Amino acid sequence: MSFVLDCPNCGSREVTDFGFGGEVTTRPTGRPEFKELNRYVYFRDNKAGVQREWWVHRAGCGEWFLAERDTRTNEVIWTARPADAPPARAAAASEGAPR
Amino acid sequence: MSGGRLAENGGQRIRRGEELRFTFDGDSRVGLAGDTIASALYAGGQRTFSRSFKYHRRRGELCGCGQCANSLVTVDGAPGVRACGEPLRDGMQVEHQNAWPSLELDVMRATDLVGGPFTPPGFYYKTFIRPRRLWPLYEKVLRSAAGLGKLRRRQPEREWRTEYRRRHCDVLVVGGGIAGLSAALRAAQLGADVVLCDEDVEPGGSLLFEGGHERARDLAARCREAGVEILTRAPGLGYFDGLVPVWQGDVLHQVRAARHVAATGTLAQPLVFPENDLPGVMLAPGALRLAALYGVDPGRCAIAGVDDRALETALSLHRLGVQVAVVADLRPDADSELTAALETAGIELMRGVTPVRAGGSKQLAEVQVGPVDPSGRLRGSARRIACDVLAVAGPQAPASSLLLQSGARARFDDTLQSFLPQEAPPLIHPAGAVAGHADAESAMLSGAVAGAEAALALGFGEREDRDRLASERAKLEAEAPTVRRAAPPAKSHDGGRGKAFVDLDEDITAKDVAYAAAEGYDSLELSKRYTTVTMGPSQGRFSQLASARVLGEVTGRPLGEIGVTTARPPWTTVPMGALAGRPFEAAKRSSIHARHRDLGATVRWAGDWRRAYDYGDVEGETMAVHEGAGLIDVSTLGKLIVRGPDAGELLDRLYPNRMSTLKPGRIRYGVLTSESGRISDDGTVCRLDDDTFYVTTTSSGATAVERWFTWWMASWPELDVTLTDVTQGVAAMNLAGPGSRDILAKLTDADVSNEGIAYLDGPQLAIAGIDCLVLRIGFVGELGYELHCAAPQARGLWDAVADSGARPFGLEPQRILRLQKMHILVGQDTDSETTPYGANLDFAVKLDKEQDFIGRWALEHYEERPPAQKLVGFTCPGGEVPTEGAAIVEGDRVVGQVTSSRRAPKLESSIGLALVEPRLAEDGASISISDDGRRIAAAVQTRPFYDPDGELLRS
Amino acid sequence: MRDIFRKRRMWKFATELKPRYDVVIIGGGSHGLATAHYLREHGIADVAILEKSYIGSGAAGRNTTILRSNYKTPEGARFYDASVKLYEGLGADLDFNLLFSQCGHLTLAHSDRAMFVMANRAEVNRLEGIDSQLIGPDRVQELAPAMYVGPDTTYPIMGALYHPPGGIIRHDAVVWGLARSAFEGGAEIHPYTEVTGLRRQGDRITTVETDKGSIEAGVVLNCTAGWSSVIAEMAEMQLPITTHILQACVTEPVKPFLDVVVVSSQMHVYISQSDRGEFVMGSEIEPWTTYRMQNTLNFLQDLTRHTLELFPQLERARLLRAWAGLCDLSPDYSPILGKTEIENFHVSAGWGTYGFKAAPIVGKMLAELVATGKTPELIAPFALERFYTDELVSELAAAAVSH
Repeated sequence: MSFVLDCPNCGSREVTDFGFGGEVTTRPTGRPEFKELNRYVYFRDNKAGVQREWWVHRAGCGEWFLAERDTRTNEVIWTARPADAPPARAAAASEGAPR
Repeated sequence: MSGGRLAENGGQRIRRGEELRFTFDGDSRVGLAGDTIASALYAGGQRTFSRSFKYHRRRGELCGCGQCANSLVTVDGAPGVRACGEPLRDGMQVEHQNAWPSLELDVMRATDLVGGPFTPPGFYYKTFIRPRRLWPLYEKVLRSAAGLGKLRRRQPEREWRTEYRRRHCDVLVVGGGIAGLSAALRAAQLGADVVLCDEDVEPGGSLLFEGGHERARDLAARCREAGVEILTRAPGLGYFDGLVPVWQGDVLHQVRAARHVAATGTLAQPLVFPENDLPGVMLAPGALRLAALYGVDPGRCAIAGVDDRALETALSLHRLGVQVAVVADLRPDADSELTAALETAGIELMRGVTPVRAGGSKQLAEVQVGPVDPSGRLRGSARRIACDVLAVAGPQAPASSLLLQSGARARFDDTLQSFLPQEAPPLIHPAGAVAGHADAESAMLSGAVAGAEAALALGFGEREDRDRLASERAKLEAEAPTVRRAAPPAKSHDGGRGKAFVDLDEDITAKDVAYAAAEGYDSLELSKRYTTVTMGPSQGRFSQLASARVLGEVTGRPLGEIGVTTARPPWTTVPMGALAGRPFEAAKRSSIHARHRDLGATVRWAGDWRRAYDYGDVEGETMAVHEGAGLIDVSTLGKLIVRGPDAGELLDRLYPNRMSTLKPGRIRYGVLTSESGRISDDGTVCRLDDDTFYVTTTSSGATAVERWFTWWMASWPELDVTLTDVTQGVAAMNLAGPGSRDILAKLTDADVSNEGIAYLDGPQLAIAGIDCLVLRIGFVGELGYELHCAAPQARGLWDAVADSGARPFGLEPQRILRLQKMHILVGQDTDSETTPYGANLDFAVKLDKEQDFIGRWALEHYEERPPAQKLVGFTCPGGEVPTEGAAIVEGDRVVGQVTSSRRAPKLESSIGLALVEPRLAEDGASISISDDGRRIAAAVQTRPFYDPDGELLRS
Repeated sequence: MRDIFRKRRMWKFATELKPRYDVVIIGGGSHGLATAHYLREHGIADVAILEKSYIGSGAAGRNTTILRSNYKTPEGARFYDASVKLYEGLGADLDFNLLFSQCGHLTLAHSDRAMFVMANRAEVNRLEGIDSQLIGPDRVQELAPAMYVGPDTTYPIMGALYHPPGGIIRHDAVVWGLARSAFEGGAEIHPYTEVTGLRRQGDRITTVETDKGSIEAGVVLNCTAGWSSVIAEMAEMQLPITTHILQACVTEPVKPFLDVVVVSSQMHVYISQSDRGEFVMGSEIEPWTTYRMQNTLNFLQDLTRHTLELFPQLERARLLRAWAGLCDLSPDYSPILGKTEIENFHVSAGWGTYGFKAAPIVGKMLAELVATGKTPELIAPFALERFYTDELVSELAAAAVSH
């Protein structure tokens, strides 16, 4: 229980209500080289700053949503359903979907 | 003799005539209702309450408000109780801490007598280094002397019931002094829902003992009328990003407020001089509290200070009828209304002097004061003043822990001679003395400003309230405090012997800090860690500034550069039981659980579930499944309904095999992998109709799989599919054994022949009149039907099936049965690196399907390479059953591990599964198992031990 | 004994940076300082240690001081065993008592699954020559008489992995002893000196930029634990790491009654009692990533509730202080140690909650790597490269469905 997140469905709740899904990564499109695959699987930006990430309202409605949070302060800048999320700064429209 | 009671006075808390009896170290004592333990002890003539941590020096009354660690006693078995803050109750058993055999005859006192030269800071780091084998002996001695209070050696369960309470409000005011009350009142008047918490038994702060008790009580009453919830004896423990836990006796309030007012006040600081820890040397508010709140005559008082507070203390004590010997003011030029008042009262004021030594054997008898040079050394001669109490009024330090935890910075203020919190984050409003507004009137005003700011920021109030705030703010700024305060030396002394403490909790002297600095520990953090200064039970409240001054002096750096250490929660030490709340056990039980209990099942943990391990006869239960019919509760399986036009597409993207080609009413096994192709879970998928799939998962993986599915669904908004987790709402039981078909036939009119319900069929039927999904699968290796029904009906179904001749069997027999078939348990027979190829699940990976799926790329890679380890069966010809987890070895090299092992009664042999290097995965290969040092010979078998071709399953 | 009374200056912190050093170590924690200490054995003295705060201010000074070597993988067990052995002699090497108390370490098992994992660890450890045994509840009770080992508790104790050489050490003493040695060996320690950038040319780092000026470096070592990714990003590379807080707390001192380290993975607590009498307790990492070193309330609540399951008599013991530190978590819970794709930039990262336990062996291995240019065999399994080839050294028992 420290910072709070706004579940797009249920509203503001303590962080302990939520499950963390990690930073948003981009799933390679097409068949990646093995090294490229492993970069996607294991390597992370792990940014000290604003990070786009996944959360799930574990102890609530169970919905997954996106957030931007400053990992230096834990300030949550916004939360949104994937469809309503502002576009990511980097060119990564796909949220890791296999096509 | 000091210690009697003073005359009555409106501000006293005690109720004369209401006597409370208690014991101190077994002796019976008497106090009054309203007393603290310390005030009652003091009134009874007791000056020493406990012994100190290292040197076992005497410890007595110091702060008078439960903030210091000088009066730690054990009360009714609970150690670490602050006697000076704890209200007395009838029948309390109070004991001293850290002295043996008694408080007066403490043998460990020797550490003090020889201790000075023998225990410089870092003593242990420099001693007992060689020979190393002797260190455990030294350590044993060291440990025997450690600790303060005593706890019971054994206690079978918690005895103290505590609760959590969640409270959401608009404004939380921490601190109920004049500023806090004023803030709460204003915010509440503006319409905000306000909670105020305070550490004392009533709000009011220093007003209560500085002559303002009527005003305090009036303010508190007005707050209550305005709807403020006032929590007393309730410290705010910390600032956790807006959440403040407030500890009040048996309750931990978790207060989540939209805005906070920090009105935490200041803490009187000690002065550092030789023997400054003698009982009788008190902080000025401590002496005042004794006299004003508890009507205790502290005895003949001398006052020493650096600003007007010393003078005010003297006048207040005098008004209360206490004999004041002298006031030693470090300022050479004190001259104000107060000095005149002192003169009128006939109290001698000595200017430009400070204590250079305290004297007395068991308690303070005299203090020597005199002028000192900037290094603190006495210039000229000191004057001896006989007294019982020296009330010390060093520079007040803001109690800024909460503000600092919230992100404010501490900046040294030359005028105030202490660190003021600055740049508080916008959601937290400092008010009163902690913000530098120390006198009552400006504290009141700053409280009102903070309360108004908080409430207005939340949308309360009108335009005129904003205007009022603006004018009050201007007034507050215009009336900036004009404090005149002398900077005390790091240590004042007469050049003689004797310890001058900067930290009374840890027995750290100014010399210790200087010594450590000379060794290189010259920053506050290093000094703290090396000397342990500020690390004791009062958490540095009264020692941080004092030690910083010493560091400043020896390093020549200004105090502002020395800084402060990080403020850490909790603000007040808090019993673990109060934080822990109610003990609870988050166990899940199936809707059939009562039956298992009736049947005398052995119930054990299985993940989050409490499950029936067996019903007392593992072998009999196992054989019943082989020879007749058995029934096991498998409600713990994860159960998901995936529905929608794209349900098949979703499953095809998540499973390495094809699910969309399943026909309604048919079942397929599926394994789930991560993107790296590692097995994460497995289960069955049954297509209920064109749009609907029923997915089962392992018991322990249920939640994670649900989350995995929904996460990908959120990533693929283009898929028209929904997921419903019915794990708790649907119960399941497995009817298995050659006799199971006959039992089923008794309970339904449907055709249950091998043609009617074939292997891997999943019809929906009424069984015993209850709607069921019947999955014909065979985890235990015999003909079997998994019956899924609504959880509330499951007990009825269980009874009907059991009454028809199925014998209940538990988890343990199931493990034997499935092992015979080499059916894996994910997480036991697989580890974090196992791929489907390593677990012989190649059949469940369809790389020829066109679709991309999770893990595809990794699996394509691993299809062509032998896995690091492969799962094989083994038998032990010698009949040993190796421990699960035992290693497979070649010589002393680990080449695998036993993942499952059992004696199978039907096969009358010892069987198991093991992960081994692939070259050993050949039928008949001999492997060697190292089990707790024993070597066990085993032979590899790759085909199931029982019914290898699955004929029984299909018949 | 002569040293007790002699005031001996431990170090003198450097104030001015030279334009160039053979070795620049980023991070003045236990790993960085240990590396400087062991570089002495190779005659390498032109070393700068850059620490953004005070020495030992990060994980080295925030961990719960537990040492052990009973790891799950043979590679891990071998590596941490070498570390414990170095720790055993380190006090004498440094002429500084590190108060290493090999009081024994108990990992409790509350389920069949846990017993299975412990049995496997005991066997793997034993084969590596490490004293590690699976013991039953009676023996657990003997070793920890104050713990409640009854059948009627929420999480009954079915047994434990007992590791006699495990124990606790004084973490700060390790830092100080190593710092003194590094200083006496000629290394410069620069506290309050923050690295702000790395200049890279092709496969080499040429310049280390700090808030006190820029320096050239022969070899650069990233020994920054929780901040490893931040430093790596300056070198334009990514690490397979996420940063999380790990929290711990301590009670007021009470008379000692617990002489072993007790760990319950199921309840996520580890508990020991220090030589001062304080109970030192820690929990697992928070699941979300962060660089903010602040405690959470739920940590205090869960930790106390779980501790009281084992030691109900602590209900009246007072919690004195809590703190948080940063952990650099790798996907397989094994470290990332040694060479990277940048020729003169080596890392010691991915430690999760285990970093402090490895300090001396990390120092020794990195020093050897710097001196010889070759990866020592002991740490070859922990190369960063393994994440590109997907050959993990997994300390995890089972794969979890997670991102």
